[in-house]
Amino acid sequence: MIVVYFGFVLLVAFDKPLLGTLIAPGLSFGVLLGALVIVVAWILTWYYVRWANSHLDRRVSEIRAEGS
Amino acid sequence: MTSSSLLGTPNPTAIGFFLAFVSLTLGITWWAARHTRTTEDFFAAGRRITGRQNGFALAGDYMSAASFLGIAGLVSTSGFDGLIYSTGWLVGWPVVLFLIAEPLRNLGRYTFTDVVTFRLRQRPVRIAAAIGALAVVSLYLIAQMVGAGNLIKLMFGLSYETAIIIVGAVMLAYVLFGGMIATTWVQIVKAALLLGGAALLAVLVLAKFGFNPLRLFSAAADRYGAGVLAPGKLISSPWEAVSLGLALMFGTAGLPHILMRFYTVPDARAARLSVFWATGLIGCFYLLTFVLGFGAMVLVGHDAIVAVDKGGNMAAPLLAEVLGGKALLGFIAAVAFATILAVVAGLTLSGAAALSHDLWVSVVRKGTAPHDEQLKVARVASVILGVLAVTLGLMFKGQNVAFMVGLAFALAASGNFPALLLSIYWQRFTTAGAVAAIVTGTVTAAVLIFLSPTVQIDILHHEHAWFPLKNPALVSMPLAFCVAIVVSILAPEPEASAGYAAKERRMILGEA
Repeated sequence: MIVVYFGFVLLVAFDKPLLGTLIAPGLSFGVLLGALVIVVAWILTWYYVRWANSHLDRRVSEIRAEGS
Repeated sequence: MTSSSLLGTPNPTAIGFFLAFVSLTLGITWWAARHTRTTEDFFAAGRRITGRQNGFALAGDYMSAASFLGIAGLVSTSGFDGLIYSTGWLVGWPVVLFLIAEPLRNLGRYTFTDVVTFRLRQRPVRIAAAIGALAVVSLYLIAQMVGAGNLIKLMFGLSYETAIIIVGAVMLAYVLFGGMIATTWVQIVKAALLLGGAALLAVLVLAKFGFNPLRLFSAAADRYGAGVLAPGKLISSPWEAVSLGLALMFGTAGLPHILMRFYTVPDARAARLSVFWATGLIGCFYLLTFVLGFGAMVLVGHDAIVAVDKGGNMAAPLLAEVLGGKALLGFIAAVAFATILAVVAGLTLSGAAALSHDLWVSVVRKGTAPHDEQLKVARVASVILGVLAVTLGLMFKGQNVAFMVGLAFALAASGNFPALLLSIYWQRFTTAGAVAAIVTGTVTAAVLIFLSPTVQIDILHHEHAWFPLKNPALVSMPLAFCVAIVVSILAPEPEASAGYAAKERRMILGEA
């Protein structure tokens, strides 16, 4: 996530013309990337929650069982 | 003011919607008051909020009027640049999820200070962290209250002072009688209203462009040039962009009122789920504001927006008026008012927790205060915070406070976040290191803001600013980390390191 957002911010900082390039009428590269940053945030949190619910919680209950 | 707009005149629809919202929320408060018996009810809603409910409440706590009206306004006046803010405000959430949410829930009781002090010496760290939290809360309160006064004046035609006092009184009723239970439900209702209102506006905008956002963007580019779809003048230097990005991204993970919400759920699993919901809702909302911003740019027009308010803050209400006339304007105005109330209530509650739980119960009474005293002190602290909010709102009347939200994020990212992160993940972190991190981060951020162009040139009208960046996080946050690490290594604290294993166990397994 950090990489994705700072990649985006660095592009904003150092390569303004690239982000202004139109890839379709009305759609600039920058607007598309911005929307994608939000979508990537969704996917990452969804994936983490899925992983943690199946994986992490099983490990936690295993450790609890060992401890008691 | 444009002659065609009804903004600024008393609007019966707006007042009707607003009274409906206040009656509903005060009803909730009355119900919540009967369920608020212990300190745990008051500050953590008895830890009975579900993950999804907390996700809505987090979204309601986080999406301030500044982001609804401010970002829509920013997009409508400068196009693409607003997107840097909307994405920045969202990407903090995965950071909160991966690094902070679950350890926070398992290690603390009411405040993030609980986590920082978990294996360190209580008093010094409590005092430093509570002051750090109060600094962030006060600044955020000033920004919200002054914003509230101005907005309500513009939208309802009430005087600034009346508006501030109404906000203060209603908010205090929620917090004082209903505590976290009432605040949570106010935030949930507000999140639903805000998302519903924004979605309705966005659908109406898109309907005019054949439900194709690209046609909307094209129309904006045709009218104001292709520049509106590319980064513009708002972010002048590359370092400025990076510094702002840092503050937005890590500031979220240091905001006391957001962190506090993680104590309202029963366990780490629910904490995790609540961030998932919050990220989804807030992401949707920011995508919607983008449509609203471009919609206002095309349908209302740049000149008409700036004519009403130089900052562009009235873009969304003006858009509502163009699309749905007086009724829709009234609804959106009431939603903006509700938004402010919910955020201010959350802030007041977290400030009260810092005062009563961190400073009074843990420092003055050394953790031995009886339960009824804790609850009483918590309520007194809420009143103090409420009065403070109204006073600050009145004191800063007419000041340009737009930079204060940025300052609050910078302080949170530099003062609170480094200490919190290191206390969770670094075994050799010490008491002295924690105090040094909080003091260095907070003081550096505050001083650099004072020396920045925003204060020196825009407010004090000096010719030069000593510090070139508007946002200090690029310097102050790494500095806080460095100082914390150096101090901890130079003066090791064996007891703190020895407590790490116990902390680790509790962090993963929870209290059980």
